Amino acid sequence: MEHRGIALRVTSIYKSFGGRLVLNGVSIEARRGEVVAIVGPNGSGKTTLLRIIAGLEKPDKGRVEIHGRALLVFQENLLLPWKKLRDNIALGLVYAGLPRREIERKVSEAAKLLGLTEYLDKYPWQVSGGTARKAAIARILVLDPDILLLDEPLAGLDIRTRRALLERIVAIAHEKGKTVIVVDHSVEAVAPYADRIYIMSYPPTRVEASIDLRKTEPGKRLSLVYGVLSELGRRETLGTTRGEPRAGT
Amino acid sequence: MGFGVALLLGLLYTLHPVLREAIRALNTVLQSISVLIWIVVLVMVFGVLSPLPPILVASLVALPIVLAAVVAGLDSSSRKLAELATMLGANKLQYYRDFLLPSLAPSLAGATRSALGAALRISVVAEAFGSSGGIGYMIANYYNLAEPRGVFAWGTILVVVMILLDKLLLEPLEKRAARWSIEA
Ligand SMILES: Nc1ncnc2c1ncn2[C@@H]1O[C@H](COP(=O)(O)OP(=O)(O)OP(=O)(O)O)[C@@H](O)[C@H]1O
Ligand SMILES: [Mg+2]
Repeated sequence: MEHRGIALRVTSIYKSFGGRLVLNGVSIEARRGEVVAIVGPNGSGKTTLLRIIAGLEKPDKGRVEIHGRALLVFQENLLLPWKKLRDNIALGLVYAGLPRREIERKVSEAAKLLGLTEYLDKYPWQVSGGTARKAAIARILVLDPDILLLDEPLAGLDIRTRRALLERIVAIAHEKGKTVIVVDHSVEAVAPYADRIYIMSYPPTRVEASIDLRKTEPGKRLSLVYGVLSELGRRETLGTTRGEPRAGT
Repeated sequence: MGFGVALLLGLLYTLHPVLREAIRALNTVLQSISVLIWIVVLVMVFGVLSPLPPILVASLVALPIVLAAVVAGLDSSSRKLAELATMLGANKLQYYRDFLLPSLAPSLAGATRSALGAALRISVVAEAFGSSGGIGYMIANYYNLAEPRGVFAWGTILVVVMILLDKLLLEPLEKRAARWSIEA
């Protein structure tokens, strides 16, 4: 398998809503087996960008090049409350017409990977927000997309749950060779886990910085990102939007 | 029956923008026609002895209430759900069965509760006008016989039946369905 090749390349994407320019020539790139973080303030068009990559929205201008299949996990979990987690996760496999045994196997495998096994027979309203989020990810993961688009998977999760989820996400990318795009508001949350990070500006949005983190060990990635941002004089753009303490500067 | 028709109209509503406008207009008209007119017209058409007028009037009263709820439910969640269904590879039928119809349950349950209440109250009136049975007929009957005790007795039965129906059936149903609302 071509493990390090380009999985996704969007070039000079422009998108306006009602005459208001949101994406102002945004380009990003992701390789196979990489976790790519996209960080930007509210309204900077992160969701819009993911929707464009997933084919749910058309850019006004620009090119989207995708190798394989890209599937999006929505910012809202959108689990179906009338189905158990097991059946929520199985939905896409059922629609694909897979045999029952195969479906069960794939669901258990994804559940195990995300730490959901003990919750499979619960309904969405019976589990915590973190578990629901994992189930929403599992529901897409079982479909085996080449590119997994996660829109703010960390929102509403406590620090420990975030860390655990990010570790699973890294495993999905590095061990299964998937490309995972993770959107979030804060560099602190995602930088240690990302192979590459894109920092978005306020709208009309451009890519403020694109930082390769692969050669930096996880513990030092955040300060590398801070370094680049202060060089750009843009430390204020992000990082503290959730009021989290900034890690040692 | 009004429930069924409303659901059907509600689904038609999802299909086409022109249907959408037509159904909105129909609902406005239906809501503004007095129930008394329906009763009188239907009794004239079907005759005093027919069991149909009370049933039809009840349906006509229930329909706009349920329809309004279906439409509101559709507007709020259908776009996101449709996108999710696409993402998961569902076809149209699977989308309606697994996503759209169940998502209407909470608003439908609430509307059913108020629609059924309204429909029952109205059908009693319809029975009083033209029918050969039912609580409404009994009340009218005792009224004609100048027997207030009979009127009160049947009136009390009516109230008790409505309260029981609401507490034992409709309220639990609505509570259960509320779990089915999709968190945003
Ligand atoms: N379908 C739409 N119609 C009109 N405006 C839209 C639409 N989708 C997005 N927008 C606007 O585009 C801008 C960017 O929205 P988007 O949701 O992509 O931002 P975001 O970076 O994901 O924000 P958040 O961090 O709050 O999730 C917002 O101002 C939003 O109101
Ligand atoms: Mg967003």
